[in-house]
Amino acid sequence: MKPDELSRLINFCKTIQKEGTDPFDLDVKKFLETLKQYLKKWKHLDDLLLDAEVLSELTKIIKLQGKWIRDRSSSFYIDPVLMELKLKMLEPVQLANALFKSWHPIISMDRLTPRRLKEGLDYWNALLPFSERKEEFPVASTLEITLSIEDLIDLNVLSETEFEDSIKIISKDLEERGRIEYRDFIYEDDFESSIKKAYLTSYLVSEGKAELDINPLEEEIFISPCYIKTKANTGEVRSVPISLSYEDWMRWKRKQKQKRNYGQEQRGR
Amino acid sequence: MEEETETEEELRTRAERKVKKAAQLLFFRRHRNPGVKGWELKKALGDNYMDVIAVLNSALHRFGMEVKRISKEGEGEGEVEKSEGKEKTERDRFIIVLKNHLIEKASGARIDDVAMLSATLAYIISKQGKVPRKTIEDFLADKFSKHRIYSALDRYIRQGYLGEDDKVLYIGWRTRAEVDRKSLLDLILSA
Repeated sequence: MKPDELSRLINFCKTIQKEGTDPFDLDVKKFLETLKQYLKKWKHLDDLLLDAEVLSELTKIIKLQGKWIRDRSSSFYIDPVLMELKLKMLEPVQLANALFKSWHPIISMDRLTPRRLKEGLDYWNALLPFSERKEEFPVASTLEITLSIEDLIDLNVLSETEFEDSIKIISKDLEERGRIEYRDFIYEDDFESSIKKAYLTSYLVSEGKAELDINPLEEEIFISPCYIKTKANTGEVRSVPISLSYEDWMRWKRKQKQKRNYGQEQRGR
Repeated sequence: MEEETETEEELRTRAERKVKKAAQLLFFRRHRNPGVKGWELKKALGDNYMDVIAVLNSALHRFGMEVKRISKEGEGEGEVEKSEGKEKTERDRFIIVLKNHLIEKASGARIDDVAMLSATLAYIISKQGKVPRKTIEDFLADKFSKHRIYSALDRYIRQGYLGEDDKVLYIGWRTRAEVDRKSLLDLILSA
């Protein structure tokens, strides 16, 4: 059994829980024996964690199996196939009559009282006009969408030649600046240019013209030019999501300002 | 002697007042969904609110109505009983329903819509209470147009007859309150 198989088993357990399919489709005993057999072979922490997760999911399946048996022995149990067949055979009127005959509607009334009307009037009087209230709901600063080059060209954000020129400019900029902190490289004086630069930089990395060096412990990301073009194709290819936001850009700007002020103070002395 | 009679009268008056208050709380809607939570009844009627509800219930029986208790978990619900744990009872919702099924039409819903709800509920109950929405849509598509099915299912969810969680449909609180599920299945099978 490989870790992949454990993940598949977890997914299978989750599907049974989510969709309510027969929990006896899973041979719990067989999987427990297999897990026991392989337990000694797991060496990495991740494998052991997966093993524990499988055990947890299997216990949920056993619980579902208990419920399944209880349901089947209850007066509610009817063979689903028989029920499906019967439902398909019945006319809409017969189905509706069956519901009406087993229906005990809630008795509830809505009535406005003078006090409630007064509350409504007070609320109306205190309410600001809609045009003024709009300011309370600022437009969200984050958008989760994927844009291809074609989309940007369609949106007139870029033209094809402009795109290639921009890539060249960024590539040259990176070569001049050398290894540099990723945010220092892409962030510029305005947010829009920064996002555009981040987008173009992702192409540099994808094409193997730049390299990302990520230090997860320090939460640092460095970018450096790739002088050996073939290097990008030899290693493991993976996607690296980097979150950029207006707030993050503002923090970066403040930091830059502080650095500049500190530099000026030092020179002044 | 006179004092004792007055006290009894006072007690009766207070009890009547509480029963009236309970009736008003339960008959008139105070929230988006009908019914009153146990803790609201306790707050309005006092610690012995279950006794007040029991008195109201016996009065309602004469008019073919009853107070029903609906738990969020769908367990231990039904007619009002005092034996349940205090905390659980306070979390439950209390509503008034018709005790017997309706003899005449009492709903403006189209017959097709009622049929769809009936088939959907029976189908979900037979599948142990949970069915992916897509499965229900495909099942109903045998007799109704997709467009009508989509809007009907959304409406049942809004009304509380069905619940939806991650594209899986289940029996909603209102079905648990209003529909005698055992009777529905029996009626469909014997039709």
